[in-house]
Amino acid sequence: MHLFLMIGLVAFSIMAVLSRDLLRSAINLAVASIFLAIIFFRMNAVYAGVFEVSVVAGLITVLFITAIALTRGDQEVVENKRHLLIFPLFFLILVIIDILVMKNLLGKIPAMVSSETGTFGEVLWKQRTFDLIGQIGVIFAGVLAVLALFRQGEKNHHGGKE
Amino acid sequence: MNNMWILNMGFVALLICTGLYCLLTMKNMVKLLIGVEIIAKGITLALIASGYARDNMLVAQSLAITVIVVDVAVIATALAIIISINRHTKSLDVRKLTKLKG
Amino acid sequence: MIFLFIIVPLVLAALMPLLGKISKRFLPDLLANATMLFLLVFSVISAKPLIANGGVIQQAFWFGAPINIRLLLDGFSLFMLFTISLVSFAVTLYSIDYMEQYGAKANYYALLLLMIAGMNGLVLTSDLFNIYLFLEVAAVASYALVAFGQGHDELEASFKYLMLSAVASAFILLSIAIIFGLTGGLGFGAVASGLKTLNIKYVVGFCSGLFLMGFGLKTALVPFHTWLPDAHPSAPAPISAMLSGVLIKVSGVYAMMRIFLNVFGLTPALTTVLTVLGMASIFVGALAALGQKDIKRMLAYSSISQVGYVILGLGIGTPLGIIGGLFHLFNHALFKSLLFLNAGAVEQSTGTRSLDQMGGLAKRMPLTAATSAIGSLSIAGVPPLNGFWSKLLIIIALVQAKMHVLAFLAVLGSVITLWYYLVLQHNAFFGKLNDTWKSVKEAPFWMSAATVMLALLCIIIGLVFPMIIHSWLQPAADVLSSGVAVTLNFIGF
Repeated sequence: MHLFLMIGLVAFSIMAVLSRDLLRSAINLAVASIFLAIIFFRMNAVYAGVFEVSVVAGLITVLFITAIALTRGDQEVVENKRHLLIFPLFFLILVIIDILVMKNLLGKIPAMVSSETGTFGEVLWKQRTFDLIGQIGVIFAGVLAVLALFRQGEKNHHGGKE
Repeated sequence: MNNMWILNMGFVALLICTGLYCLLTMKNMVKLLIGVEIIAKGITLALIASGYARDNMLVAQSLAITVIVVDVAVIATALAIIISINRHTKSLDVRKLTKLKG
Repeated sequence: MIFLFIIVPLVLAALMPLLGKISKRFLPDLLANATMLFLLVFSVISAKPLIANGGVIQQAFWFGAPINIRLLLDGFSLFMLFTISLVSFAVTLYSIDYMEQYGAKANYYALLLLMIAGMNGLVLTSDLFNIYLFLEVAAVASYALVAFGQGHDELEASFKYLMLSAVASAFILLSIAIIFGLTGGLGFGAVASGLKTLNIKYVVGFCSGLFLMGFGLKTALVPFHTWLPDAHPSAPAPISAMLSGVLIKVSGVYAMMRIFLNVFGLTPALTTVLTVLGMASIFVGALAALGQKDIKRMLAYSSISQVGYVILGLGIGTPLGIIGGLFHLFNHALFKSLLFLNAGAVEQSTGTRSLDQMGGLAKRMPLTAATSAIGSLSIAGVPPLNGFWSKLLIIIALVQAKMHVLAFLAVLGSVITLWYYLVLQHNAFFGKLNDTWKSVKEAPFWMSAATVMLALLCIIIGLVFPMIIHSWLQPAADVLSSGVAVTLNFIGF
């Protein structure tokens, strides 16, 4: 089951890369996210799974679709037609290397058990408090970046030497 | 347990290489961003798989969530840049971005 | 309270948009400069005595209860904090006049403060994952700052920068995830002790490779340098100074050295790779700079070349090499930001960045020309300016380590540096005054104040360098040269 989910995840990612239509790419990406979320649920990572569904499959897809809608109607980008040929070749080589490396590593990594107690909230707040500050910083940075890039008016700009 | 980790890491490698392939060969800016997003997925999976292997799930989840938050910020900034570029060039083609050279 | 280094810029960044509503220019200018001055004074007066007996770990408090934010302050991180604060103070001072033309000053300062908060967090943390996180805070702010002018060039450069930087972060984070899977810990101490007991060379080698690529991209080491000559010149001048002066060093050199030297331990293979990459950067950067016509682009290539010296010095791993590398890092932060700020002043006055169109500007902009000459001579390693001493230390360290060929090449690189800086000086400031620039005026007061401050520092540090080495560099170098042992002492966290 785990294996099928993984294969589904990789397959939808590949479809997101290869499909011609951007909108379809974005939706494939969202489906891949849902696969990833199911994998997380099965690995007992409930919170990460919920986040993956709501933020990555939801918010980021919405962002992508908004951006695609805003930039649509202009010239189409001509992609290299040979991707459908090159990619499978590339991917096949990749899979072979991957399997060989994995086979070599099997059993080499010793097991180490660390026990932990407490709930998710406690861990996030008590052990990884510094992360929260970083998250706040990143969110600020993102918001301010978007504000800076979309600001209007009072712009007597000098740069663009067209 | 640890062979499971290695198996998961194998899939992580596949995802990341798919994303890198996308970054290296695609010409559409939004497509490039999708490549970045696929790499980010691979890394979230790597974090969760590592936590699973070490029985350290709670920490791994908080890391994964942080990564997702960072990702949203990066993607939002990148899309804002892409939309602004689109206003200038009316195109999403990276091949049009050749003004800076040398 | 070391925590103030992170929280003060963060809170001010959050307040900035509100302040911008109240007063468009005055309040943001005042507060940003006050913050930077405070951080600078704070790092000298109050943080310096804390580490008199080696590194300390400080716990943060939230309403009186200890919370799990443990900041590691030792010689190396204090040295970086001081460098960041110094350069960013000069940059905010300069921005008062320079950023008028862009508008949205409050937004600009907010992003700048976030970048500084990110860098300070990165320097103070003792946890691998937080390194990634704060790297990303600084990076997201810097993408927006590079694109701040909203012109086509800026946006294009910012997009390229963002893509490569995203890949770099991905490599770094993947390596962190693997290490987390191997050792089950993320703190420096836990990882160092975990790796010591595990003894799995290949996986550690693979992780080192990923880190090298990731931080190499952030540092713009050759062959990962392609984004820098686009991103740094396109940004507004103070941001170019900030990016070239500190960001590539904090998010690249600092993080790389902290992980390689203090967590993984320096191996001979790593030394070889670092010295080779450093050498390649010196030459590729210097030769590319020779052919540039755009003043800021030349400076950007020169950054690649000079960071190569830093990596070369640190990569040797001997105590003297580390001191030389760190000293050069500090010096480069000073004179490269000075030169970028001067380039910005010239660009503002003349409206061009092309060296061909300039000429004779020394007659119209004497202060800019003089400070720029000091910066150029210093970066080229002319005695007795500061750049000379740091390059000398690196070369002596190379000779001591029996790497005579590399020492010779380092001298050669320095000669090329002198060459293209003379070209720059000659084309921009000396010679006959171009008729177009008859009415050009000297840069406004605050811009000159910032550049004069940096130029004076270049001279003073060149004169009193033994004192600087003794009081600031020695503690930093001690931390790095004691290697993994220093981290293992902090196993408690």
